Amino acid sequence: MSNATLQRARPEGRAPAPEQEKPRRRRTTWWLLLAPILAFDVVLFLSPLGKLVGSSFTGNAYQRVLEDPLVVRSLINTLSISLASTIVTVVLGYVIALVLWRSGTVTRVILFAVVLLPFWTGILVKNFAWAVLLQDNGIVNSFLQTVGLTDAPIELLHNRLAVIIGMVHCLLPYAVFPIFSSLTSIDDRLALAARSLGAKEASIFRRITLPLSTPGISAAGLLVFIISTGFFITPVVMGGPGDMMIANQIDYYARQLTDFSGAAALAVILTVLVSILVAIYQRVLKAGGQHADN
Amino acid sequence: MQTTNPRQRLLTLLSIPVFLFLVVPTAIVVPVALNDSRYITFPPEGISFAAVAGFFADKAWTSALTASLQSAAIAVVIGVILGATAAIGLHGRKFPGQQAVVGLILAPMIVPTVVLALAFYQFFISLGVLGSILPIGLAHAVIATPYVYLTTRASLAGLNPALVNSAQSLGAGWLSVFRHVYLPVILPGLVSGALFAFSVSIDETVMSLFMQSPSATTLPVKMFTDIQFNLTPKIAVSSALLVTVATLGLLFQVMFVLKRRSTARMLPLAVSAPN
Repeated sequence: MSNATLQRARPEGRAPAPEQEKPRRRRTTWWLLLAPILAFDVVLFLSPLGKLVGSSFTGNAYQRVLEDPLVVRSLINTLSISLASTIVTVVLGYVIALVLWRSGTVTRVILFAVVLLPFWTGILVKNFAWAVLLQDNGIVNSFLQTVGLTDAPIELLHNRLAVIIGMVHCLLPYAVFPIFSSLTSIDDRLALAARSLGAKEASIFRRITLPLSTPGISAAGLLVFIISTGFFITPVVMGGPGDMMIANQIDYYARQLTDFSGAAALAVILTVLVSILVAIYQRVLKAGGQHADN
Repeated sequence: MQTTNPRQRLLTLLSIPVFLFLVVPTAIVVPVALNDSRYITFPPEGISFAAVAGFFADKAWTSALTASLQSAAIAVVIGVILGATAAIGLHGRKFPGQQAVVGLILAPMIVPTVVLALAFYQFFISLGVLGSILPIGLAHAVIATPYVYLTTRASLAGLNPALVNSAQSLGAGWLSVFRHVYLPVILPGLVSGALFAFSVSIDETVMSLFMQSPSATTLPVKMFTDIQFNLTPKIAVSSALLVTVATLGLLFQVMFVLKRRSTARMLPLAVSAPN
């Protein structure tokens, strides 16, 4: 195919460019190709963020927000909700990754599509669907009543459990992929050898599969935790007033209090936290990669 | 591998509720939108297109749909141009500072959306241009561009940079190098990047919420505002529209993967926050 395209690329009756002119011409073009994205990102990404950081250092903003009990509460909420969502997501993600890993090609593609569907679906759509399922006259409540677990509908929405359910549903695809890729890098012959020496399936899982997939587990855990800390929509749609997270507090400072420097200070705190976690995540990915190579 | 052993069966049994947990919420959206009832219920009581008709007759919702499509168009056009030029420009190069350039290109994926939302809100207010769809589309372009860059870069991975050199030394100009060497190779990556960009923009809520105005309210913002008061059939119709878009995107991705015969291509691209 590449030969054919090359053939077509040759303009008829034109002599090749002189040898010495070539490198210079290529260098100019190459920079021109990077110029648009660099200019765009400097003007519309770096400069708004720079402005934000600048405004966080005015009006004693950091001290002010950190003395606000609502901020402290939202920081604690962010950490506890993110941690709970991360643990549940990684456990469920591990189950899915194991099934994907063990299944044949056709099943695998279908199951991949199932995992990717929520990944493509917008967060509001997913939260709306959960609200429909969990509402007072929703299917979950009718099921609980039919089974006889309750007589009256339980308030399943507008609490912390609902927030965690909504978040886990959004986060699962992000956990499945790192775990799946660490599982596929395990050498099949290890399990075969262990089995031939009489190992039971339980001990093969405990002593081979699980330890060798830990890089995937830690990558998944970090990635999911990083994404969790920025959630904004789910706490509003599915949570109660006591479940607000740091992103909601940023919104409250910016749009309700119109305290931009306070909002900016909170945004910088969140970004620094996320950046540290991203740096650790990249280290984990690298370490995992080396592990797989050995 | 061994489907007969009891542990395997236990795993399959365990995984069924997890897969249902993943699929059911998305699967109920279209039936709920077509429900023959004034209330939001599942399972539906009968099929009716009344809610769909109601959605398209309501000017607040149709203008939200228009706003969403406009912002997505801006994000896709800018994302495709910037992402593709960057991927081609960086293909087969090694230069000092390259990591910093790639880092800058990918950085919008890592910054939490709420932080970007605040930054854009402040930035566009100070420029005095809030109140139209343009700033929202530009903000969406910022977060959509890295996706196009990554999908284009992935499809360029198999192209030997020497091929470009030989085409040039044979006298091909830039336009014909692009048309005959790059374009055939990057086309699948470009299309899937454009789909990603469209999907990122059409679902984005937080930035659009911060920058909203009566003349620039996108579909997710309208949904977010309404959902806090009541679950209405119009929200259901809007959700069903978005699920249809998501399914089309997913189908394309699956087809793309099947053609390439590699599940690795299914891996989500990088850190990206759904908020």
